[in-house]
Amino acid sequence: MPQALNQTYEELVFKAQSLFWKQGYKGVNAKELANHLDVSMSTIYNKYTKDMLFIDSIEYYMNTYSDPFLSQLRASKEGLISLKDFFYALIEALLDKTFPRSCLMVNTVVEMRNENQDVINLYQRYFDALVNSYKVVLEKAIELGQIKHPEKKDDYARFLLGVIFSLSILYKINDKESLQNFIDERLSFIV
Amino acid sequence: MRYKEYNVNKVLEKCLRLFWEHGFRGCSVKDIVEATGVNRFSLYHEFQDKNGILYNTLKLYRERYVSDKFKILEEEGHPKEVLTKFYLSFLNEANLQHGCFFIHIGTELADTDENVNVLVKSYLGEIESLLQKLLGKYPTTKNQAKFCARHLVGLFCTTMSFCLIHSETERNNHISNGIEVILSKNKNYATST
Repeated sequence: MPQALNQTYEELVFKAQSLFWKQGYKGVNAKELANHLDVSMSTIYNKYTKDMLFIDSIEYYMNTYSDPFLSQLRASKEGLISLKDFFYALIEALLDKTFPRSCLMVNTVVEMRNENQDVINLYQRYFDALVNSYKVVLEKAIELGQIKHPEKKDDYARFLLGVIFSLSILYKINDKESLQNFIDERLSFIV
Repeated sequence: MRYKEYNVNKVLEKCLRLFWEHGFRGCSVKDIVEATGVNRFSLYHEFQDKNGILYNTLKLYRERYVSDKFKILEEEGHPKEVLTKFYLSFLNEANLQHGCFFIHIGTELADTDENVNVLVKSYLGEIESLLQKLLGKYPTTKNQAKFCARHLVGLFCTTMSFCLIHSETERNNHISNGIEVILSKNKNYATST
């Protein structure tokens, strides 16, 4: 008999994203997913597929984790100091497992590369938001006279884009102090 | 003594390809048995468990695929050119896959598997000391060479993850921009091009 679905789709996505975050896309099979969500296999095959849940998990991640983080960064007033606070907060989130396993987006890039067009579209949205936020903060920093070469703003924004990728690996093998030191030094490249 | 009818490195080579394509969690022991043609009992006898296979594939990758790339860092030439060549050697069509197997597995497991953590850490440590040696060839203080090497390792991590989704042009820009910004801290590296 078909199992009645007593959970909303949003609730399922919420559960699915935590599993994908910890295990990746390929590391989750349909059976595990069904168990984790407490739904039948036929629900996963016929109604809410793994692909659909995965794409919506990334959406959920962007809406819940990165967008608020980034809009806070864009609204910040202290230029490079705000940028440093932003990266420090990210280090905290990685170490205290608010982010259970690095950044979901970075994990996905490494795991799936350009294999799935829907995922590629999400990369675009994510990285555009990130680089635009960095540019807003850099403009602020330029206004405050914190940057010697304002003409390099776009290069710097792209340079900063790499930080989240480096941190996603380095937080696993370094302690907090050396990670903070790494950020301080990174930012010293652009003053 | 039991006659071993398979070559360990050949088996590991197949596992390496499998793990790199599907991830460690994405491969079952059944997949490994099917790909290698070696039964579960023999695999466990040789490597203890699936994790044991993984650690050995990392070692095989380091010996078989990375030694040549590390040698690039010992070549003569301007650091910018040597570094560019080094980074790009991991993103070459002739490789098994774009990128670096250590970063791939590290992203998946370095926070949960102690042995992977140690292997990734010593791998990146090795790169860092090679980079330091390269930079030390130019007039600089030891601290400055250390400083730049640390950030070139950061660029390595970025290149082996972010650049996997780049077009060739984007990738080249990302690498040259990264090297440029990091080396510009020291005028001895920055001048001669």
